[in-house]
Amino acid sequence: MPEAVTVLLREIAWPFALLLAWAAGELGQRWLRLPRISSYGIVGFLLAAGQAGVLPALSGGPMALLANVAFGLILFELGYRINLGWLRANPWLGVTSLVEAGGAFAAVLAVALAFAVPLLPALLLAALSMATSPAAVLRVANELRSSGQVTERTLHLAAFNCVLALIVFKVVVGYGLLLSDGGILRALWGSLVTLAVSAGLGALFGVAVPWLLRRLGGIDRNATLAFAVAVLALTALAHALKFSPLLATLAFGIVARHRRVVLSQAQRNFGTLGDLLTILLFVFVAATIDWRQAAAGAWLALAVIAARLLAKTAATTLFAGIGGISWRKGGLTGLALTPLSVFAVLLLEQTRHLGLGQLDQLEALMAMVLLLEVVGPIVTQRALIWAGEAARREGA
Amino acid sequence: MPLEAFRPSEPLTLGVELELQLVNPTSYDLADAASDMLHLLARSRFPGDVKPEITESMIEVATDVQRNHDELLAQLRRIRDALVAAGARLNVAVCGGGTHPFQRWFNQRIFSKPRFKEISALYGYLAKQFTVFGQHVHVGCASADEALYLLHALNRYLPHFIALSASSPYSQGVDTLFDSARLNSVFAFPLSGRAPFLLEWAAFEAYFAKMEKTGVVKSMKDFYWDIRPKPEFGTIELRVGDTPLTVEHAAALACYLQALCRHLLARAEPPPREDDYLVYNYNRFQACRFGLDGVIVHPRSHDSLSLREDILATLESIGPQAEALGSRAALEGIRAVAAREGNDAGYLRRQHAQAGSVEGVVDAAIRCFKEGKTT
Repeated sequence: MPEAVTVLLREIAWPFALLLAWAAGELGQRWLRLPRISSYGIVGFLLAAGQAGVLPALSGGPMALLANVAFGLILFELGYRINLGWLRANPWLGVTSLVEAGGAFAAVLAVALAFAVPLLPALLLAALSMATSPAAVLRVANELRSSGQVTERTLHLAAFNCVLALIVFKVVVGYGLLLSDGGILRALWGSLVTLAVSAGLGALFGVAVPWLLRRLGGIDRNATLAFAVAVLALTALAHALKFSPLLATLAFGIVARHRRVVLSQAQRNFGTLGDLLTILLFVFVAATIDWRQAAAGAWLALAVIAARLLAKTAATTLFAGIGGISWRKGGLTGLALTPLSVFAVLLLEQTRHLGLGQLDQLEALMAMVLLLEVVGPIVTQRALIWAGEAARREGA
Repeated sequence: MPLEAFRPSEPLTLGVELELQLVNPTSYDLADAASDMLHLLARSRFPGDVKPEITESMIEVATDVQRNHDELLAQLRRIRDALVAAGARLNVAVCGGGTHPFQRWFNQRIFSKPRFKEISALYGYLAKQFTVFGQHVHVGCASADEALYLLHALNRYLPHFIALSASSPYSQGVDTLFDSARLNSVFAFPLSGRAPFLLEWAAFEAYFAKMEKTGVVKSMKDFYWDIRPKPEFGTIELRVGDTPLTVEHAAALACYLQALCRHLLARAEPPPREDDYLVYNYNRFQACRFGLDGVIVHPRSHDSLSLREDILATLESIGPQAEALGSRAALEGIRAVAAREGNDAGYLRRQHAQAGSVEGVVDAAIRCFKEGKTT
C-alpha cells in the first residue's frame, strides 16, 4: 500500500470506526434486539490492531483520556443515582454487597490458583472480577427505561462493588510493589492514599459544583452542561495527578446527589454527548483486546466467569428474602451484575505506568473482557426483561 | 349481570381509600414499584387493605369501616407508617397529591392484571393519562333510597370537597393554573360526571339495566361519576377529592363529609331536584380552577357565593353534627385550611417558588406524607 493511503487510513480510522459502530448498534438493536453497547464492542474488537488492524495500536494518548472522560460521565451518573440512605434503611443491601463482591473475589481467586496462575496475577484477577461494569448496567437500564427492584439493586450493587474492587485492587497493587521494590512508602502511596485523595477530590467537586450552580441560579437549564464540564475537568485532573479518575467521578456523583441539585429526565445519559462518548468508550475498550492473547486465556476465563456468576447470584439470591424482594428477583439481580469489561480495562490502563510486569500476563482477563463485553450486556438486558422491569410497548 | 342488591349498612360509617404515588427518591419521577411494594407488604399483616391501581407507579390503600375521627385517623396513620417503612426498604418514596407534577404519562406502565389491560386497550392513552391520584370516601347508608337521596343532596356541596382537597396544580411539568388538574383527566372519560337524577332504587336499577343492554357498561365500576352508589358495600362513594398531602387532612375531609351527611339526613335542607344540576358543572369548574377562591352559584337562590365563605358558613351550621359524631378536631382542621392555611395546591405552589423546580415540589410532598405538614 502506498504510504499516502496508509496515512490517510490512520487519520480517518477512529471516526469511521465510530460511525460503523453506531450503525451496527442501531441495526443490532432492530434486528436482534442486542443492547447497542454489545454491538459497539464487537465492532471495536474486529477493527482492532490485533485483528483487522484498522485501528492503530494504542496505549495511553488522547483516546485513552477521552475514554476516561466517557467513563467518568457514566460513573458520575451512576453515583448520582445512588441513595446512601438506602443502606441505612435496609442494611441487608450492604450485607448483600459485601458478600457478593467478597464471594466473587474468593471464587475467582480459587479458580485462578487451581489453574496454576501465580499468586499476584491471581489476586489482581480476583480483585477486578469483583466489579460489575457500571457503564454496561447503566446503559442497558437506560436503554430499556427499566425501573424496579432489580434495576435499582443492580445499579447500587454495581456502584458498591466497583468501589470495593478498586480498594482491593489498589491494596493488591501496593502489595505487589512492596514485593518488587521493597519501598513501603511508595507502596502505600500507590494504594490507599491515592484512593482517599481521589474520593476527596470528587467529594470536593460534589460540594463545589452544586454550590456554584445555586449561586448562578437557573439550575434546570445549566445543570447538565455544568456537570459534564466538571466531569471533564475532574477526569483530566485526576489523570494528570495519577489519582483514580474512576473513584473521583463516582464520588462526585454521589456527593452531588446528596447536595440535592436535580437532573431532569431529559438529561439522563448526558444526552447526545453521553451517547457519542459511549460509542467511543466501548469501541476503545474492545480495541485494546488482542485475539491471540484472549485465546490463550480462554479456558481460565470461562471458569472464572462461571465462578463469578455463581458467587454473585448465590449472594443476591441468598439475601433476597430478608432484603425485601422475591428469590426470583434476587437471582435476576445476580445475573444482571454479569458485565465486567470497561471498568477492568480502564483500571489496568491506569496502572500500567506503575510498571508492574505481571499485568500483561493477565491473558485470561482479556478473554473475559472480550466475552463479557458482548455477552454481559445481553445477560443484564434479559435479566431486566425477565424481571418485568423494562418499559414495554403496550400492545407490542 | 344485573345490578347487585343494595346491602344496607350502618348509617354514617366511613371508609377511606387513598390512591398514592410511588416515587424514586433520586429522580423524584414516578417509580414502577407497585409489584415490588405489594410483594413486600404481603409478607406481614397490613393495617388495612392495599391493592394495585392501573399503573405500576400507583398503589391504593383503604381503611376498614370506621365510626369516628379518632379511629379513622389512627388507622390511616398506621397505614401510612407501614407504607413508608416498606418503601424505605425498597428505596421507594410514597406521597399524596392528585397528580405527579412532571411524570410523562406515556412512560407509565400498565399494571399486569386483566381488568387494567382491558381498560388500557379500550381507552388507549386516556388510561395512561389516568395516572392521577384521588381520595374516595364511602359513607354507609341504611337503605338504597337513602343512599340516592344523599347522593343528590350532596350536589351543592361537591365543590367544597374539590377545593378543600385540591392538590394537583402541576401536570406534565407545568403549572396548569388549576388547583385540581386531576379532575380534568377524569372528565375526559365518557362515563364521568354526575349520576342521573333518580331518587328511587327501583328506578336506578331500571336505568342500569338499560345501560347494560346498550353494552356500554358491565358493572358500576364503569361509571366514573363524582359520587356513585356502591350497592355491595351499602354506601355512597365520593370520588372528586384529590389525595391530600397528609393522612391527617384525608381523615378530616372524610369527617367533614360525615357531618354534612348527618346534617342532610336530618332533612335540614329542602330535598334535591333535577334543576340543582344546572349550575353543577359550572361550580365544579370554579372549584377545580380557583380552589377556595372560586365563586359558585347557589342552585336555588342563584346568588354568587365565595366558596371559602360558603365552607366556613357550612362548618358553622353543621357544628352540632360534628359534636355528636366526635369530630370537632377534624372540622377545626378544615376550618384552618379554609380560613388561613389554604389548600394543598397553594402549599405546593409555595414549595415550587422556594425550590425553583418541580422536583422540589415532589420532595416537599414526600416529606409531608411522612411527617405531616411543616409550615
